[in-house]
Amino acid sequence: MIEVSGLTKSYDGVKALNNVSFSVKRGEIVGFLGPNGAGKTTTMKILTCFMPQTSGSVTVAGKDINDDPLAVRSMMGYLPESNPLYLDMLVYDYLRHVATVRGVPADKRHARIKEACTMCGIADRVGQRIGTLSKGYKQRVGLAQALIHDPDILILDEPTSGLDPNQIVEIRNLIRRLGENRTIILSTHNLPEVMATCTRMLIVHKGQLVADGTAAELERRESETQRVHVELRGAASQEEALAALRALDGVASATPVLTSDANAIGVELVAATGADLRAPLFQAIVARGWELLELRREALDLEGIFRKLTKQV
Amino acid sequence: MNDTKSAAAPAAAKVPGAFGNVMALARRELGFYFNSPVAYITITLFLVVCGVYLFAIDEPSSGLSFFEANEASMRKLFEMIPLFFIFLVPAITMRLIAEEKRSGTIELLVTMPVTDAQIALGKFLGGLFFLVVALLATVPLAILVGSLGNMDTGLVIGGYLGLLFLGAAYLAIGLMASSWTDNQIVAYLVAAILCAFFFFVDGMAEVVSVGAKDALAALSFRAHFKNVARGVVDTRDIVFYLSVIGVALVVTMQSLRARNWK
Repeated sequence: MIEVSGLTKSYDGVKALNNVSFSVKRGEIVGFLGPNGAGKTTTMKILTCFMPQTSGSVTVAGKDINDDPLAVRSMMGYLPESNPLYLDMLVYDYLRHVATVRGVPADKRHARIKEACTMCGIADRVGQRIGTLSKGYKQRVGLAQALIHDPDILILDEPTSGLDPNQIVEIRNLIRRLGENRTIILSTHNLPEVMATCTRMLIVHKGQLVADGTAAELERRESETQRVHVELRGAASQEEALAALRALDGVASATPVLTSDANAIGVELVAATGADLRAPLFQAIVARGWELLELRREALDLEGIFRKLTKQV
Repeated sequence: MNDTKSAAAPAAAKVPGAFGNVMALARRELGFYFNSPVAYITITLFLVVCGVYLFAIDEPSSGLSFFEANEASMRKLFEMIPLFFIFLVPAITMRLIAEEKRSGTIELLVTMPVTDAQIALGKFLGGLFFLVVALLATVPLAILVGSLGNMDTGLVIGGYLGLLFLGAAYLAIGLMASSWTDNQIVAYLVAAILCAFFFFVDGMAEVVSVGAKDALAALSFRAHFKNVARGVVDTRDIVFYLSVIGVALVVTMQSLRARNWK
């Protein structure tokens, strides 16, 4: 559906995006994740044909954004970062204006406005001036205008920024519902948001794509260096246990950790890349006649992965 | 039946096309003007200034008041309206693009399936409708003057036509100035200065050199307006105003295209 290859954007010689490539298939909800200033908004502004790239190419449903920008734009609904709206207009008038310019036929406009308002939960606000709405309602008007022409693709730049927790949950549910039959790219610097709504995530950092995959894939990829938590009983001292475990093949380091049981000895081991420590650990402990109380592989959570990938160097 | 429906749908969607987009954008601007008190205040002020000037202030060249001149003519007012326009028209145009840039709505505007030409034209027409309303509001003044004596109606209609073209040229210049900045005040000042410059530029001939007189007169709105105010509508003057509008709209499109703001 969307093919991005070698996308680069420079502002006055500073590269905001550097050789970013990814593709998005029809029906995916892709979360664009990264710290502030990583290049998320820049990518979205290029995808929506707001500004041209410095180099690289983007095609949407086979159409190049530079050769056929009108066709690309008409396939998309866009919610920009700051959710800009004509504050002087009534909600209904504004949506009718967008529907007209978006090419919704005159006889279908009313029905589309009604549908979009119902979906976004603003059906009871259509007669209100946009400027008088609360931030949450404005955000929904922004979403409604992005949906008004029933686009195949939705580009949402930080759709939940500035909302309260209840509103965030509502908007996330709405996005998930919308994603059932649309392709959605949403950007955020909020990790739980991606985990709650997206089928796939792209992590950008300093203008470069540093990760691309589902949450499970990223976890698997980043937990190649295994961490194992062991609790045992029967060793003469903590030092003895540590020395014995450290001597095993594939162990990079072993550090003592606290346990809830006073008699038990806790050790956390980090494996050398690629090694699986669980079986050798079990055998070594049993061979020494110690009792194995717990053996657990620690999963590196997404939060950790995100921090690891976007560490400020 | 389904086949005919699906075949007709894209065709029906295309019919409004470019023209529909331009009109939708123009309607949005008109909605802004007339949904707020600003439009009514501006037009009222314009009318008051016109009325006061016409009836209560002596004509600068002859030193006679309207009633002393004893002539049922709008000429005195028509000669002055271009000066009023230098203050009025930039007030209409200053927000057209500058405000979209300031508030960020430009991002939604230009990511909709509309061309830069349609945006420029839509905004221009929105302003033009406002100007037409302001001019129409002065028609009762003309009727009043006509009721006082023997007025040459053809002259008055020609005068209005000339004012419309002159105002449209100012509008295009104002729109262009508005596309250069995200600050409405800057847009107003730049537009007013440009309009004043092009209105008075023929006066510079005496300062610069006599040889440049014809060239400067060719560029001057005032020189092109003189004939029109006398009721003579010359195609050369019309072509001049249309060229100014064309150039200003093209420059506006160019600055919309150069999207380097962030």
